[in-house]
Order: sequence, then structure tokens, then C-alpha cells
Amino acid sequence: MCANRLAVTTLHLTGEKPHGDADGFGPLGLRPALFSAFMDLSLIRYGYPLVLIHGAGEDDLVLPLTEIMDGILIEIAPRGIEGERMRRHLLGLEKEIRILVAGGRAESLTRLWDRAAAALLSGTDGEPRRSLANSLEQARENLRYDGEVVDCREETPARVLKHIWSVAQNNKDRKLRETIDTLALKLSHILQADFMKTEEAKSAVNLKHSFGGAYESVFSFEELSRILRARPSEGPLPEKRRQRLRSALSVLQSWTFFADPGTDGEANRPTDSQAFVHDGIFSALEAYRARQPEMIDLIKAMSIAELEIQNNYRESKHDAFFDEFDEQSLEPEDLALFPGYLVCLQDGSLEAAGKSELLDALSSSLPIKVLLQNHDILDGPAAGSSQASSGIKGPQLAAMAVSLNTAFVLQASSSHLYPCRDSIFKGMAGAGPALFNVFSGSTGDTPASTAGSSHLPPYLLAAAAVESRAFPAFVYDPGAGEGWSSRLSVGVNPQAEVDWPVHHLSYEDEGLQRHTGEVAFTYVDFAACDRRNAGCLAPIPPARWNDEMIPVNEFLDLEEDQAEEKIPYILMIDNNNVLHRLVVEDKLIHAARRCRGMWRNLQELGGINEARAQEMLAREKEVWEREKEKELAQLREQTPSAPDQPPSAGQAAEVEETGPPEPAPAADAPVDEPYIETPRCTSCNECTDINDRMFAYDENVQARIADPDAGTYRQLVEAAENCQVAIIHPGKPRNQDEPGLEELALRAEPFN
Amino acid sequence: MTTSATRCLLRTLDENYALEDYQSGVPRWCIGCGDNAILAAVQRLCRDEQLPPEKTVFVSGIGCSSRFPHYMHTYGFHGLHGRAFPVAEGIKLKRPDLHVFVVTGDGDCCSIGTAHWIHAIRYNMNMTVLMHDNGIYGLTKNQASPTSPQGLKSNTTPRGAHLEPINPVSVNLGIRNVSFVAQAVDWIPELLHDIIAAAYHHKGFSFVRVVQRCPEYLPDRYDPWVKNPDRMLLLSHADGIQISPELSRVYRHQEKHDPADRNRAREIASVSDPMPVGVLYRNRNMPCYEDLREPDKPYTPSMVGAALNREFDKFTIWPENGEDGGAGKRG
Repeated sequence: MCANRLAVTTLHLTGEKPHGDADGFGPLGLRPALFSAFMDLSLIRYGYPLVLIHGAGEDDLVLPLTEIMDGILIEIAPRGIEGERMRRHLLGLEKEIRILVAGGRAESLTRLWDRAAAALLSGTDGEPRRSLANSLEQARENLRYDGEVVDCREETPARVLKHIWSVAQNNKDRKLRETIDTLALKLSHILQADFMKTEEAKSAVNLKHSFGGAYESVFSFEELSRILRARPSEGPLPEKRRQRLRSALSVLQSWTFFADPGTDGEANRPTDSQAFVHDGIFSALEAYRARQPEMIDLIKAMSIAELEIQNNYRESKHDAFFDEFDEQSLEPEDLALFPGYLVCLQDGSLEAAGKSELLDALSSSLPIKVLLQNHDILDGPAAGSSQASSGIKGPQLAAMAVSLNTAFVLQASSSHLYPCRDSIFKGMAGAGPALFNVFSGSTGDTPASTAGSSHLPPYLLAAAAVESRAFPAFVYDPGAGEGWSSRLSVGVNPQAEVDWPVHHLSYEDEGLQRHTGEVAFTYVDFAACDRRNAGCLAPIPPARWNDEMIPVNEFLDLEEDQAEEKIPYILMIDNNNVLHRLVVEDKLIHAARRCRGMWRNLQELGGINEARAQEMLAREKEVWEREKEKELAQLREQTPSAPDQPPSAGQAAEVEETGPPEPAPAADAPVDEPYIETPRCTSCNECTDINDRMFAYDENVQARIADPDAGTYRQLVEAAENCQVAIIHPGKPRNQDEPGLEELALRAEPFN
Repeated sequence: MTTSATRCLLRTLDENYALEDYQSGVPRWCIGCGDNAILAAVQRLCRDEQLPPEKTVFVSGIGCSSRFPHYMHTYGFHGLHGRAFPVAEGIKLKRPDLHVFVVTGDGDCCSIGTAHWIHAIRYNMNMTVLMHDNGIYGLTKNQASPTSPQGLKSNTTPRGAHLEPINPVSVNLGIRNVSFVAQAVDWIPELLHDIIAAAYHHKGFSFVRVVQRCPEYLPDRYDPWVKNPDRMLLLSHADGIQISPELSRVYRHQEKHDPADRNRAREIASVSDPMPVGVLYRNRNMPCYEDLREPDKPYTPSMVGAALNREFDKFTIWPENGEDGGAGKRG
């Protein structure tokens, strides 16, 4: 439907021209019908506020307040009335905290908790107050987490990502420190062992000094020294090796890459964030280059130490390698041992040169972790179709970064940061660059968002962006596997298998009759949240509704000729919760179609509805079924003739006979020649003790006949008789002149 | 290995250990002793796994079998009677990078060392245990051991052993946190090697009872099983030991036994005829003591010194401070 057709249709249906202005659209407070349950976010439990956990590990990076409260309730609330009362009290507290946070309070959870608890208690007295105080006190005792509490706002993505980045840095810090301390300790052990071989170490003075004072009069250290000196020992280490060990040890003991944690042993000391957080790619690269020489020295010393500790340093091979050790010798996994550099960028303020710099950094192997925050993701019709393209936006940059195949790329909106927390951590902790493209949902103060200001809370807008596929969430990990579907994951999107997520909607008509139905949340629903699109939508009064009007998702599925006869609409509600149908202009339909196409591409790359894979699956399934059927048929044939089970060591066990005995392969050998069943030899030395030239061990220390002529037939027969596992077969005598052959032949008979 | 350079350079080293690299001296065991078969199987394992001799240690107690470390060209600790386990635990705790093997006998393990043995199973430290069970004290010339058959006449039981023998495999299976139990016999070398290899690959306390012939004092004890393969029960499983076709032709009495099935393992272990051979039980999820006790950070000399001084300072008394004995504390 083109613009003038919208006018015609609207005129046809309503008798009026579409007003198409944001001022007329806005006062109604129109929002997608599926938002009806989310009119007041303070009343519902959802993913925010988030608590950025202090001292977090990999498993509890961030937690929604609701999850913390649920955890406490599981711990303390008993079944029954008492538990229900406790639950109500705690949910009341949660609501109070949510209101405080929404009001702009930026404090830790425990402070907010105390503030909210005080507010709740001040509003009650008597027995209810005592009961409430008791519940809150118990819950407070079971509060195991603390941390900064954040609501969904413009600055939220940066705060959450910085928090996760800092946990990843602390982990790296701890691991690197442990690794280096261990290496230094082991190197010092080698040097200490070397010192113990010296005359100085064996001197009476040193022995006395090392012994302590308690019993020193009981010992003669001179005598002890004399004994130790008399004992032969290996010589000291070569001077060159000693120098190498000392040099590596010196680097390992003097590195300063992370700030020194001091002696208090605090495990989760925050890394010096100022040094590693930047607001531009260039400054991050400068900082990286400034630290590079120290990093190269440290990695070189670590490599030498590891080889020395393994006793695998070969001067002939390794000296030359380490003489030329430089930045070219570093691999991404080496860089991953060290801190990543976090760069926070705003999409709106990123110039073309900045974008090019960003892509350059992402195509390198440097540990640059970039947060690209988007505020306005609608393009084309939403921003005004007549305008030229406003340039490459965040999603396009993310797609380009994916195609580089060098960077970890994560795209998500603020509403989905919590479900993506593990992936964010992986990107932060991993080797190489990473891009985190995040839509904040904020309609805040940036110039870009002013034009597209929405009357919706950021959380709703952010969630709608993901639901509508306008800003689909995905994770691309270039190291996760070979195929696209291994590397790209779109599973975090709601109902990722279908074009549009479908939700249940119930409403009453004017006659107070209940209606229910399934409503899809499409790109048009998301675009309708933006006032700039007011001109593309026109409300139609219920009296004018007719069968030609169909929901947008159904309209998009129609063929072109069928679509001509239909009018697409979306459902919206106003401030009074009244349901409206709005017909949609073609421009938005085109944008929705393009959005769906891109989503389908993403689905297919992520392994969903992949046409070729489905074909192959069907083919393989058919083959598998045929084979199974064949196997079943064979089993059915075999079952009646199954042999009797032999006696077993117990009951109910599956005991098998392996069919009728076949002659041992060795039995096929000509009996005239002597032979040994070597694999059964127990290496007991019986035969080799008789004649170690005739019998010898193979590479597995099992006997074989090395030379049958190296001894007598009598020795062969005696060996056969002595062999405890009876695996020696003497065969026929080779020397017919040997005395006593007749008797020996008789003795040999049982073994041939 | 932490750095890419180390990994890369180690790959270029062409160390290749032959079986002879693990041999040391000529064993003084009797001709025909089953210990020889165990030694050969272990040396094969070391060669197949290319265990660096300087990273491998064999710990033993006292007895014929406990001479084992002398015949391995690796590190060794020939310890006190019954005390192989505590020594091995100390080594593993301090040097988790070493491959630790414990070689013990029925007397060493099941008599004087029983307490250490039981708790070693509990600790579940990553080591391979070879318990040579010949049912007799051989080194001290023919005394009954805890696994000697009832009625055995020996120097200490001239009228015959009064008690039923202990079943080392069942004892293992009785400990709650047992993680690997297998039984092998010295006269099926292929299986002996495979079982020891499975034990080596298991992370945890891998106990292998090797039923072993003593040609000197109990020469005929296992003849019925040696001479009649049908009296052996070979345990196989896709997730355990697989029996080769050649072996299957001789040993036809087999059972598919899932090593995860502890109850069935107990049933199998309780029967001595047919004699079961294979992996009876394995639990890969049992935590190892050295992992549970792994320090958060390496114990550097400065850290150890500071910690010791902190503790000593709590109790240091300075008598010169007064006639009352000086209760002053430093610190």
C-alpha cells in the first residue's frame, strides 16, 4: 500500500484523511497491544533491576533482583501461611527497591535494602510491623549478595559490560599471578638444588645455620660436613644455564603488569580500570603498544621457565629462537593471558574514520574489547524514507565484524544482557578482539535519539527491539567450531524458530465479552513505538473493521496478488487501555519484509530452518530407519537359536560365549618347527634362564624363539615343561643325532 | 603449558623413549615369578605413554613386589613396611605433575598397611596402585598373609590358616568414595597391560589387584585357573576393557559389565571361581583430594615465612619481661 493508498483506504474506511502527525498520535499514548501488561513496570517482576555482584565469579556475574529474592525465599519461607506471609513481605520489599532504583537511586543492594525496609516499616505498626520486621530481618540474614543495583537506562550497557570485563580481568590477574609465582618458585628450586651441591652449602657453618638452634649442641656439623663432602654428587649446573635461570627468574619476580595486590591476598581486587578502559580505539592501541615490550619479556621468561622446569630446554635449538623472540612470536592465546582493553563507543558519535578504525582493530588479533552502544536502530522508513542513508549503523557494523571472522561479536539489547552474561564474559575473557553491539533502549539525550523519541521505558523498547527482530540478539564466536551454525548462536531470541514471536492476548469487547487470540509481535509493532512513524499508521474505528483487514504477520505471508486485496493492520492500545486497529503504510511493510529477510538469513546461519540441513536430515533419517529395520529383522531371526547361557559369577548379568572355539592361529603353524605363543608370555624368565640365545625377549619383553639352533632339543623340551603358561611348543628335533631323542619326543608330545 | 612458544617448542622435541629406557638392573625375583609379568606390562605402559622417566615415580613398601622401584629407571621410593601410600600421597600432594605409581603386596597392603590403604582409597588421590597378590609372604620365606587361602600351611600357620582370606577388591568397593577398582592376573599379559593402562588413564586412586603366582611357596595355587581358561571370567564393556578376538578364542567366558554399576561390581568381586578379570568399578566424578586441597596460590617462600611468623607470634613469650614469666606478646 503506497502512501496515497493509505490515505484512500483510510478515507474509504473512516471517511477522514489520516492525520499522520506525531502530536495527534502521541496524546493517545498508543503502544503495541502486547504491552498491555507492562503499563507500570514498577508493579511487575522482570529482568531489572540488575545487581552487579561484588566479588563475582564466573557463575554469578550479575543477578536480577527477582532472582536474589526468589533464592532467599527458597531458603527461608516455609510452606503454609507463615511462608506466604513472608513471601508477601519480601515481594513488597522488592517492589520498594525497584521504585527506589527507578527513581534514580544508585546505591548498593544492602543500602537500598535497608532504605526500603525502613520505608516499609515506617508505614506500619503493631503486630503487622513486628511480623514484617521479623520477615525482613530473616531475609537480610540470608542475603548472600551485594553489589551495585542498576536499572535499565542509557548508561546501563556500559556499566554491566564494565563490570563483567572487570571480573574477567581479575580472573586473568589471579591466574597469571599464580602461574608466574609457580614458575618462579620452581626455578628457584632448581637454583637451590644447584646451590646444595656446592662446597659452600656443605660447609659446617651453613649446615649449622640451616639446622636451627634447639639441638645444635647434639650434632657435629664438622663431621656432617665431612660426610657430605665425601659423598660423590653430580657437578653444578653449567654457568650458561644458571645465568639463563637467574635472568628468567628476575623477570618473573619483577613484573608489574597488573597492580600489586599487596600482601592481604584479596582475591577479587578490582583491576586498575583507568589504565585499560578507553573511549577511543586509538588510545587503546597506544596503551597496548606501550605495554608490549614488558609483555614480550614476560612471555619469553615464562616460556624459558616452562622448558627449564620440564627439563626440555635444548640450547642448540632454543637459544636461537629466544634470541629473536619479539611481537611476531606472540600468539592470541599469549595475549589472552593479559588484560583486555575495553573501549566504550557511542554509535551516534562515531564518525566514518572511527568506524574504519574499529573494523581495523576487530580484524587484528589484539585483545581490544569494544562496546558499541546504539540508541537509534530504525533506519529507512522510520527515519524518513526520503532521507539518504544515515551511514553504517551498529547492526551493520556487527554484521561486518562477523564477516571478518576474527572477532567475537555479540549483539543484544539491554533487556537481554542478563541472558547473555556468560557469552559476554567469554568474549571479555577470550583471546582476540570482541565487539559488543548493544541497543540501550534509551530515548535519552543523544542527538540521534531525540528524533526518534519514544514514550516507552527503555527496558520495554529494548525488549521490543529483540522481540520484533529489528535488533536480533546473536553471538558469533569464530573459535567455536567449523560451521556457521557452531559459531553463530541465535538461541537467545524469543521463539527463535519462527519469523515473529507469537503471544497470547485477551481482551473484552464493548459488550464485555471475553476474546482471546494469538498476536504476533512484528517489526511494524516495534516501529509503531517510534513517533516518527506516526504518519505511516492510521487508527480505524471498530465500526469500520472488516474482513479485508488482516494482521501484519499474515499480510507479510501473502503472495503479491493476494496482498492487493488485503489491508494490513496492527493492534495497539491507548492510555485508557482501549484496543485500536491501525492500518499500516507500505513503507513500513517493506521495512518489515526486509527485517524478516535479514532475520531468516540469521536463522539459517545459526542453524535454524537450514534448508540443506533439513534435506540431509530427512535423507539420513530414512537410511537410519532402513538399517535399524534390517538389524531388527536379523535379531528376530537369531533369537530362537540363541545358545544356553554358561554359568556366571552372579545373576541377572549378560554373559556371553563367543561362539565355538576356533583353533588358535598358532596351532596352524607347522608342528615340526618350535614356536612360542608370544602374546601369552608372562616374562617369567624360565626359558631365558635355560638358554638366553635360543629364547629372547621381544620389544614388549615377551619371549620368542630367537634361534632354534642355538641350543639342544632337550633345552626346548625342558623350557616347554617349565613354562608355567604352557606356551612353548618344541616341535620336532632339528638335530637327529642328539642323544635321547626318543624319550624327548615323548615328553614333547603334550606341548605340540 | 601456558605460552604458545613452550607448546610449539615442545612439539619439535623428538624424545622417544624405548622400553629399555625404563629398565634398570636384572630383577632378583625368582624364575617364574608373576612379578616379572607385571614389570613387563608397566614398562610397556611407560613406553606407550612416553612417560618422562624424570616425571615418573614408583613408591613401594616392603616385600618381594616392593623391590619394583629398583627395576624401573625412574624415580623410586622403597619405603617402610605398609607405608607406601602415605609416601605416595605426600609426593602427589607436593608434586601433582608427577606420575605416581604405588607397588605393594598382599602383606604390605592388607596387613600392616591396611589403615593407610583404607584412607588412601578415601583420599582418592590420582595414582595408580598395583597390588601384587600372591597370597604369601615370600621375601621372609613362607608366612601366611591376609589373602592366603584358608587351611594353608606355612611357617606361621603350621596347622593351616584358620581364617577366610580378605578380599581386597571387595574391601575397595566397600569404601564410599572409591573411584577405580580392577582385577588382573599375571598369566594373561595382554589384559594385564590393558587393565594397568586403564588404571593409569583414570584420574583418581586406581587400584589394580594383580593375582600373581609365587613359584616358590605356592606353585600350584592358581593352576586350576591357569590351565583352564573357562574358569576365568573376562569383563568387557564399550566404556571399559575390550577383549581382542585372539584372546576371545581362548577365554570364551565373558561378561559385559558396565564399570559404573557398583552393585554388580560387588557381586562379581564376591565370587572367586570363575575368577573375574577386568575393570569392576570406575567413577570418573569422584573428586581427588589434591584437587580439593589445591591452594589458591602457590606457597612462595615469602608467603610461607609470613604465615609461619604470624602463627609463631601468637605464642612467642619474652621471659626477660618480668618475674611473672613475661606474658608479653610480640606483634
